[in-house]
Amino acid sequence: MIRLEGVSKVFKGDVTALREVSVEIQRGEFVFLVGPSGSGKSTFLRLLNREEVPDSGRLMVAGKDIGEMRSWKVPYLRREIGYVFQDYKLLSKKTVYENVAFGLEVIGRPRSVIRKQVPAILDLVGLGTKAERFPDELSGGEQQRVSIARAFVNRPLILMADEPTGNLDPSTSVGIMRLLDRINRTGTTVIMATHDRGIVDTMRRRVIELDRGVVVRDESRGVYE
Amino acid sequence: MYRLWYYLRETVLSIWRNLSLTLAAILTVAVSLALVGSSMMIREGAERATAQFQQGVEFVVFMNPDADTDQDAAIRHVLDSSPAIEGYTYIDKAAAYDEFETLFADKPELIESVTPDVMPPSYRIVPVDRSAGNVNELANQFAAQPGVREVATATEAIRQIDDFSTLVSQALLVAAVVLVAVSALLILNTVFTAIGARRQEIEVMKLVGASNWFIRIPFMLEGTIHGLIGAAMAIPVLFVVDNEVMAFFQESDAVPLFRGFAVPEGFVWDTSIWLLILGGAVGMIGSAVAVTRYLDV
Repeated sequence: MIRLEGVSKVFKGDVTALREVSVEIQRGEFVFLVGPSGSGKSTFLRLLNREEVPDSGRLMVAGKDIGEMRSWKVPYLRREIGYVFQDYKLLSKKTVYENVAFGLEVIGRPRSVIRKQVPAILDLVGLGTKAERFPDELSGGEQQRVSIARAFVNRPLILMADEPTGNLDPSTSVGIMRLLDRINRTGTTVIMATHDRGIVDTMRRRVIELDRGVVVRDESRGVYE
Repeated sequence: MYRLWYYLRETVLSIWRNLSLTLAAILTVAVSLALVGSSMMIREGAERATAQFQQGVEFVVFMNPDADTDQDAAIRHVLDSSPAIEGYTYIDKAAAYDEFETLFADKPELIESVTPDVMPPSYRIVPVDRSAGNVNELANQFAAQPGVREVATATEAIRQIDDFSTLVSQALLVAAVVLVAVSALLILNTVFTAIGARRQEIEVMKLVGASNWFIRIPFMLEGTIHGLIGAAMAIPVLFVVDNEVMAFFQESDAVPLFRGFAVPEGFVWDTSIWLLILGGAVGMIGSAVAVTRYLDV
């Protein structure tokens, strides 16, 4: 599904974000990316959906070479990758329903599909009754569920989450992790960058640890440290 | 179909959110295109009013329609041999009729009243010495020849009118070019502001994989609509220029030549179409620049 072969990324001012990273992630895996701030976790994710381009090495996602990809093809890559953020990135003037529908509208899905899929996904994330609410009427956990719904409504092959529980209290975080686990069980590859020791230690999934851009540990059923 | 609806909705919403800047952009387009159109019309009118006296032609010898070939040959011989004549063009009956037809295309009853047969053939003559005294003297000589119906000279007045309308239309055009540039910049700014207002949405769109053109089109449509609305507002001005300003000159007796100061039927509509194209292009270019510089897709 995802293969990095000696991938490096250097930012301006010789800041090395990733150095010679080689990792392979299979379809349907659940992977935690851990490591201190600035270790390259976010860069790792941003390379996968080609917000960044690798400086060297080869990066394959869903059978496509990301480094070689023409920019007009990038949107089609991103349709295969759902992306969830710490700050949710919801549109405050749209309702829950509209926020999720927006993700389908802008990739040209027909309205009949939208009408069918949005209520289904809202039920899946447990917000079926709050479709007409606006984001600022929801709790943080609920907002993150909306954001996950938007990322998953198009049934992507891969779901990436960058610190999805970073702004949430532990009990709310558990709910979010259950949701991500459930999504993973549908066969979706989930990659989650996190600082949350409790979650990593409880879930016991594959852990890839980065430190100053280098993979220092890669364990299946690992713990935070 | 749904996509079209989406584009329109987004465009209209964006225009509504940004109304004051949008109005400024549209009005500037309207004013500049009204000037462009007026300049085109004045130039056309002046050209037609003085059509016979261009490229150095100082006087025109009109022959009688029934002048015989000997009389014609005599005139031609003088023209060919006289050192005072630099050159000339012969307009035969058919060509004269064609010109008449074009000049009075909007007055079909006038065209119907004549046939090529009654049109006077003419010589348009460029003398070596173009001073008024010399031109008058030459004109008198030709007027006395057999077969000549009349001789029309380009008087000082004609030249002044010609110069004047050229000056006016060029001044209008310069102002118009400046204003067109200003309106393109205003549209660029309006679209830039619209992009800023929707930065969050654009970020999400990129994230979920909206294609680059899907993101760009509403903004480009917005700029193009500014241009088109502005052009549409400029079109009535052309009709006012045609019906009021040019008609005033045509009816005034002060300068007889200005009676020919008209644009042909359909010219106003043709100009209108050009203004719409120009307006749309200015809007599209302005917004395309904004989109490529600020949208980063």
